[in-house]
Amino acid sequence: MTESQTPFDHRPDARLGAALRETLGAPRDRAAFVARVMAGSARTPAHPVEHLLARWAVRGIVAAAAAAFIAGLVIGRGRTPVEPSVSDDPGAMIADVQAEPNLLLVASSGR
Amino acid sequence: MGTEPQRPSGDTRNPGDVGDAALVAQARGGDREAFGTLVDRYADQARRVARAVLQDPDDADDAAQDAFLAALVKLDQYDSARPFGPWLMRIVANAATDRRRRRKVRSAVSLDEGLVAGGARPDVLAEREVLLGRLRTALAELPERRRIAVVLFDVEGYSHAEIAQVLGIPEGTVRSEVFHARRKLRALLSDWRDDG
Repeated sequence: MTESQTPFDHRPDARLGAALRETLGAPRDRAAFVARVMAGSARTPAHPVEHLLARWAVRGIVAAAAAAFIAGLVIGRGRTPVEPSVSDDPGAMIADVQAEPNLLLVASSGR
Repeated sequence: MGTEPQRPSGDTRNPGDVGDAALVAQARGGDREAFGTLVDRYADQARRVARAVLQDPDDADDAAQDAFLAALVKLDQYDSARPFGPWLMRIVANAATDRRRRRKVRSAVSLDEGLVAGGARPDVLAEREVLLGRLRTALAELPERRRIAVVLFDVEGYSHAEIAQVLGIPEGTVRSEVFHARRKLRALLSDWRDDG
């Protein structure tokens, strides 16, 4: 162990690193490994079908949501709001009603 | 922190070489040669990290290969503003861990058979073999996360922050893991000779 270093040191320990590297084994056939990975990559599409479908699905959902929002806005603006009609005069409420006078009299007197 | 951290061992770059982010951009555009350069650049590092998890070199190489291919598929998810190494090593560590869970590591015996280089000077080698064997056993006895942390820190030269990113744990926990791993492993190194 390097005398000046303790386990608290924030610098890599070159001596321990070298020993561990040897323990793990220095991969010496890198070219063969790289060739093997590249052969595998030739069979691996960079953008597999699932990824493309997922991307399209997300785009489709976003587009549909945006279209629904815009349609809602357009339809909402095209409508004129119906204002509630409230009258303080009960007589005005029945002014247009064509009914028997007696019946109206009974109704208005609460009988 | 810069986007290209120092790599004392696994990095095979020359000063004039294209940066990782540029290679990733080319690879994203379908340039397999650029991807090949990235694989070549990180192959040793990825294999060592995988070996730290799996111990069996064949399993480790399979995991490292799976990780590179997974990285190729996920290249769109890589944030080029951040260093590529930790992002890739996270995929490697996950691939190795998944493989270990699936296969239940066969045995550390294959390490003895396949990893240690032969060479001249048998007198020195015999002593060194014993030491390597002890170190290997000690390394294998460490919890997996601790093993990965110490290998990334002392072998591959990653910072605590980068290892935290790789392992998905707080930086303080990484420091603690490295500390405990070092304390155990360094005790075995008193007889280690650097000249091999």
